[in-house]
Amino acid sequence: MYSLLKKMINRKQQAPTPFIEKSSKEDITLKKQCITDKLNKTVDIFSHIYSVGKNNDVIFRKFHVQALKKDAALLFINTITDTDHIEEYILKSIQQYSGTSQKVEDIVTTPGIKKVQVIEDVIIEINKGNAALFIDGESVAYILSVSNFQGRGIEKAENEVVVKGPKEAFNEKANTNISLIRKKIKTESLVVESVTVSKRSKNEVYILYLKDIVNEELLSDVKERLCMSDVDSIQNLSMLEQRIEDSTKSLFPTILYTERPDRASSFLEDGYIVLLMDNSPASLVLPATFWSFFHTSEDHYLRFLYGNFTRALRLLAMFITLLISALYIAITNYHAEMLPPDLLLAISSTREIVAFPAVVEVFLMEFAFELIKEAGLRVPSPIGPTIGIVGALILGQAAVQANLVSPIVVIVVALGGLTSFAIGDLALNFAVRLSRFFLIISASLFGLYGLTAMFSIGLFYLVSLRSFGVPYLAPMTPKYTSGKDTLFRRLIFHEMFRPGYLKPQDMKKAGEVSDGKKQG
Amino acid sequence: MKKLLWILKSVIILLLLVMISGCWDQMEVDRKAYVVGIGLDKGKKEKINVTYLISNPEYASQQGGNTNEPATEIITFEANDLITSRNIANSVIAKEISYDMLSVIIVSKQLAKDKNFIRWMYDSTKDREIKRNTAFLVTKEKASSFIEQNEPKLETRPHKYFTLIFEHAGETGLIPRSDLMRYFRITEADGDLFLAALGTNQQTNQERSNGHLEAGEFKIKGKTNKTNLMGSAVFKEGRMIGELSGEETRLSLLLNDTVKSPNYTTTFQDPFNKDYDITAKIIKNKRNNVSMQQMNGKTILNIKVPLTLEVLTDHSMVNYAKNKEKRNQLKRYFTTKITEKLNKLVIKTQKDFKGQPFGWSLQGRKYFLTVDEYEKYDWMKSYPNMEVNMSVEIRFGEFGRQTDLPKIKQVRD
Repeated sequence: MYSLLKKMINRKQQAPTPFIEKSSKEDITLKKQCITDKLNKTVDIFSHIYSVGKNNDVIFRKFHVQALKKDAALLFINTITDTDHIEEYILKSIQQYSGTSQKVEDIVTTPGIKKVQVIEDVIIEINKGNAALFIDGESVAYILSVSNFQGRGIEKAENEVVVKGPKEAFNEKANTNISLIRKKIKTESLVVESVTVSKRSKNEVYILYLKDIVNEELLSDVKERLCMSDVDSIQNLSMLEQRIEDSTKSLFPTILYTERPDRASSFLEDGYIVLLMDNSPASLVLPATFWSFFHTSEDHYLRFLYGNFTRALRLLAMFITLLISALYIAITNYHAEMLPPDLLLAISSTREIVAFPAVVEVFLMEFAFELIKEAGLRVPSPIGPTIGIVGALILGQAAVQANLVSPIVVIVVALGGLTSFAIGDLALNFAVRLSRFFLIISASLFGLYGLTAMFSIGLFYLVSLRSFGVPYLAPMTPKYTSGKDTLFRRLIFHEMFRPGYLKPQDMKKAGEVSDGKKQG
Repeated sequence: MKKLLWILKSVIILLLLVMISGCWDQMEVDRKAYVVGIGLDKGKKEKINVTYLISNPEYASQQGGNTNEPATEIITFEANDLITSRNIANSVIAKEISYDMLSVIIVSKQLAKDKNFIRWMYDSTKDREIKRNTAFLVTKEKASSFIEQNEPKLETRPHKYFTLIFEHAGETGLIPRSDLMRYFRITEADGDLFLAALGTNQQTNQERSNGHLEAGEFKIKGKTNKTNLMGSAVFKEGRMIGELSGEETRLSLLLNDTVKSPNYTTTFQDPFNKDYDITAKIIKNKRNNVSMQQMNGKTILNIKVPLTLEVLTDHSMVNYAKNKEKRNQLKRYFTTKITEKLNKLVIKTQKDFKGQPFGWSLQGRKYFLTVDEYEKYDWMKSYPNMEVNMSVEIRFGEFGRQTDLPKIKQVRD
């Protein structure tokens, strides 16, 4: 047996078959060259690069510029450009120009124009949806900004729903998202830097921060991590998140993913850094602590008492989700004397005719519930209601009648599953749902002792986590000066400080308030 | 590769750890037989007869509730002690015997009076599952026959019956608060007497007025359970030495500050018309004032008992609420009556029991400077020779919901 294992482990990995790759050295050297002043040659080069003719949406428009008495060519990809703009501001204005200026800048009337010489740079701009204008006799390309990517408009937030507060959510266009944030933070110190993070697809990430608040060290750390990736393509923020987070195998998330611009901007104002990307209807907020996953934006929009009431409810829900199944197993298997006699008899009588041990019962139901959740998420909407019927009837009613599970287990698991929905953040939701299984296993092996031991281990783990250098449970432990917005929030005019664990350049965000007197 | 081996090894070790050490006292709830009451009787030689009253979970439950199984199973057998009895019972009972739901320990008078009784009682401190708040009941007949013949008509689940009857009989003061914790505490402190609830389901033919009854003397007719709990068994140094009637138990509770004193209604002969009785509710809100004096080698105990009385019937139509003079007369009457009764009880404890069940040793302890001094004084031995001065202070509460009564002459007119 042992030798077999040893063999399995020691089995040498077979040498991988070599990839058959084609060298792109020729293309690279071509792209490094500068544009020549001969229009024909330039046209040939770009026709080769873009496979004009084969490539359906790449347009090479040649024409004669009357004012300069020269031939010219316009290159653009018509699916990502605004053809109306091209007609209005470029072609029409060139043909109808009656002035005397010989400069292209004066003839063309597009708002953005710049000169580029290297072929590679021209390509980047064309791929971004701009048009390139080549003129015979000039060794530069004029880049005219006419890009127009297709996408949906601004819609309501779907995953982080609030009743009281702004409803708009990020969409897949980074420009719109930045605009949504600028709408909320009208200051010149809001900086939008962009970094290209992938080599082939050239995906761009926008780094947003307030330059007179953000901690420089944190900022450079973030930039460093963004530049580190050596990858062909990073499609969106969810993929980027996994590349830059502190511990990829961690059970708990360390970067906050939010689709609400109001949340992102309030984090920005506290000195956090926000990342945006095209193709992601959300933003990444970093560093993130446990509390940023636990909170919702509505906690602050609601009045002090109401907001804290929902916090208390959410906390309770989190503990119920985490502990209820594990507690049920621990108590019924090891500490039956803890139950009130009537409940003990009730559980005992229903368990008597059930075939499986309590642990198996609970696992069976937990598994079924997770299945309903997952299937309900993936099911095409026309057959959605079926899930409800199947789930409720088969699992609830029929399983009990068939003596597969006892009704109390159905209640326990359903309660745990229901309360898990109170945790709004998807990542934290997963973390809690997964850690529940660890607790159930330890409770089934060692009773309440195992449950508490595993819970303590979980706490140790949480305390050991860090997100971009910030302890996961800060500012609760270790303690930092902050708005003290952790489990519960304080009165709004007592939240005077930005979170100290971010080490912002400006700590105070509100003036001193003497007792009982409100500001303003 | 080395890392993989390391991971594999640690996983195996962890699995072994879990397999070897885990689940050591795991037991599914449905595999236990829940003992609700244990009856103890004297057996042959130094053995005891143990009776188990086992509750049937299936009875009256929604799920398996359609069974014709009885609510309880009762089994009696001889054993050496309470610990071995758990295993012996399993030769008859299929499920593992569990004391998780144990709510009462019932002991026959015969065993309680045995000189070795305390030895068996201390077995219950050894078992992990026996809780100290388990009620303690002494029966006049054999515990096994008490359990067998106890047939509550409405609370067919035995744990419910015992919890409720101890709670409500205790509230009305007819039985004392008696549980294992009190038994052990008072026995070990060796300064007071322990009062245990007394019960029976045999009827005797003695006739006494209400309140003076002992268990079994209360006449009931109709279709009901024959069991009644009334009065108390007096334990000195862990062994039963006597009995107190229902009224004496009530009075003893008035003098005892270590228990929550009950509010109960009782009757006195009407001082204004001998034909009628007055029903009064006695409420004790304040603690007694117990002080101790040493004089010429004699110890004097001064006890002040503050009571609130609510006069609830007024058959002689005196209208106490409106009549100050009559009210004062009534107050004097009550004071002398109650003081008389209390003094009678104190004398009984001094003469018959040579100890007191009122917890006074705790209140008297503060009059000694050191523990040694207190121990040397030996409260239990000194008590019979103490002079006890009882004074009762009565305050009237309300005179019923409606205080006014119509003039009887006007009504008859």
